[in-house]
Amino acid sequence: MTASANTPLLNRLQVLLFAALILAVWEGACRGLHISSLILPAPSEIAGKLVSLSLSGVIWPHLWATLIEIFSGFLLGVGAGLVSGAMVSLVPVLERLVYPYLVALQTLPKVAIAPLFIIWFGYGLLSKVVVTALVCFFPILVSVVAGFHATDKDQLDMMKAFGATKWQTLVRLRIPSALVLIFAGLEIAAVLAVIGAIVGEFVGAQVGLGYLIVTLNFNLDVPGVFAVLIYLSVIGLILHGAMRFAARRYIFWIRRNDAAVMV
Amino acid sequence: MSRVLGRLRGDPLSGRNAVASSAISPLIAISNLDKRFKTRSGEVVTALSNVSLDIQENEFISVVGPSGCGKTTLLRILAGLEQASSGAVHCDGQSISGPRSDVSVVFQQATLLPWDTVMTNVLLPVHLKGDKSAAAVARAERLLAFMGLKDFTQKYPFELSGGMQQRVSICRALMREPRILLMDEPFGALDAMTREAMNVELMRIWAEERKTVIFITHSIPEAVLLGDRVIVMSPRPGRVSEIINVDIDRPRNLQTMSSSRFGELCGHIRTVFGAESSRGPSL
Repeated sequence: MTASANTPLLNRLQVLLFAALILAVWEGACRGLHISSLILPAPSEIAGKLVSLSLSGVIWPHLWATLIEIFSGFLLGVGAGLVSGAMVSLVPVLERLVYPYLVALQTLPKVAIAPLFIIWFGYGLLSKVVVTALVCFFPILVSVVAGFHATDKDQLDMMKAFGATKWQTLVRLRIPSALVLIFAGLEIAAVLAVIGAIVGEFVGAQVGLGYLIVTLNFNLDVPGVFAVLIYLSVIGLILHGAMRFAARRYIFWIRRNDAAVMV
Repeated sequence: MSRVLGRLRGDPLSGRNAVASSAISPLIAISNLDKRFKTRSGEVVTALSNVSLDIQENEFISVVGPSGCGKTTLLRILAGLEQASSGAVHCDGQSISGPRSDVSVVFQQATLLPWDTVMTNVLLPVHLKGDKSAAAVARAERLLAFMGLKDFTQKYPFELSGGMQQRVSICRALMREPRILLMDEPFGALDAMTREAMNVELMRIWAEERKTVIFITHSIPEAVLLGDRVIVMSPRPGRVSEIINVDIDRPRNLQTMSSSRFGELCGHIRTVFGAESSRGPSL
């Protein structure tokens, strides 16, 4: 690790070579052992399907629908999580009365409520947006509450000794310190958003990448399923990367202490 | 140098108490102070027992004692961060009921805000009072330059060494021009070399900006080197076992530490500790 860190180019080359090796072994195994593409399609087959799905334009309406669900659900869930997390943290009565119920709700598998949302919000985009928002809501809520509790005691004393008001302590100390855990929550929520949207579509939809997977699977088009999975992982990676980029920018002071996590 | 002093203060009123606080009434008067805590299991622990102490304006007081002797608790009560269980603590004739604007604290940890630059950290106390004037920035710049941090004003705390962070924290404490500076083992987390350098630095500041300083430490040489008087405390419950006048002339420096009088005083304090620990039930 430390030796290769000095030569990033070589490091990257190693990663690429390793990926190529895996793909080659996979391809070789599928051809050599005559594995049916119904069980495990060869990489070349998946690549071909990926290209044909994209070039024929079949994928675009599905991709678009899922992206809308992911982004609106993520924004809605994060927004609601931030607001309710802040309220629970800053109003002691709410923490006592409401937070236990919220935590209890969190233990409920969101996938299990998804069919209800189809009934309440219909087959359209809205039900998927709500499932995604709900899935994103809890990690944000918990990280906001934990973040406000994690304020350093010595620093609270310092602010008090300098005569800071409650509001000043909130703005200058408690919110910035909470950001560290909030960004950890955002990273989790970004990954969960993709899951939420797909689960919502599995339960009942007419469009979307999750719907496409179900359809392709039904037609035993396994290479097609794999091609859609690649789309999904790219979306997940981009979202996750965006959150990390934002974290590096907005909680830059963490990098030093926590290099392994934040690099 | 005295010109620097005047400019560092920048406040024509800062000398207002020079005449008022003669030896007649002490600046800080602690009498029969007790502090008891209740632990989680409901047990009552006495952190401070019957502590009485008078501190004059512009005096440098070292408080030395082993861990558990309540010296930090004493400082927190003086800072208004905690209330006494019984007894009285008066500052300038008023009972201390909360943080005062003429008292600054330097904690063991630098407690700088990691998301703010060195300059913003130093300006914190005046920002909290709503003062965003250019004069405040100029004073912060002078203080930082005085502490050898001129080139670091726009750096973040994580870019500084431990000793530099603590110097920033001292600048921040001086920023609100306190009459009283409370220091809670400020150099305890530093290595021995940096610690000695910081001791010299602190004596230099104190010579420039005369303040009443209460300096908590568990290092006997540090206490003797810095203090006009050394308060020796003993643990369980924390009480004052002896008050020692340090009759060594100022200015002092690191050479002072090899003088025979310095050695005698340190030796004497060690004897006090030794007597305490042999008397105590278990240590």
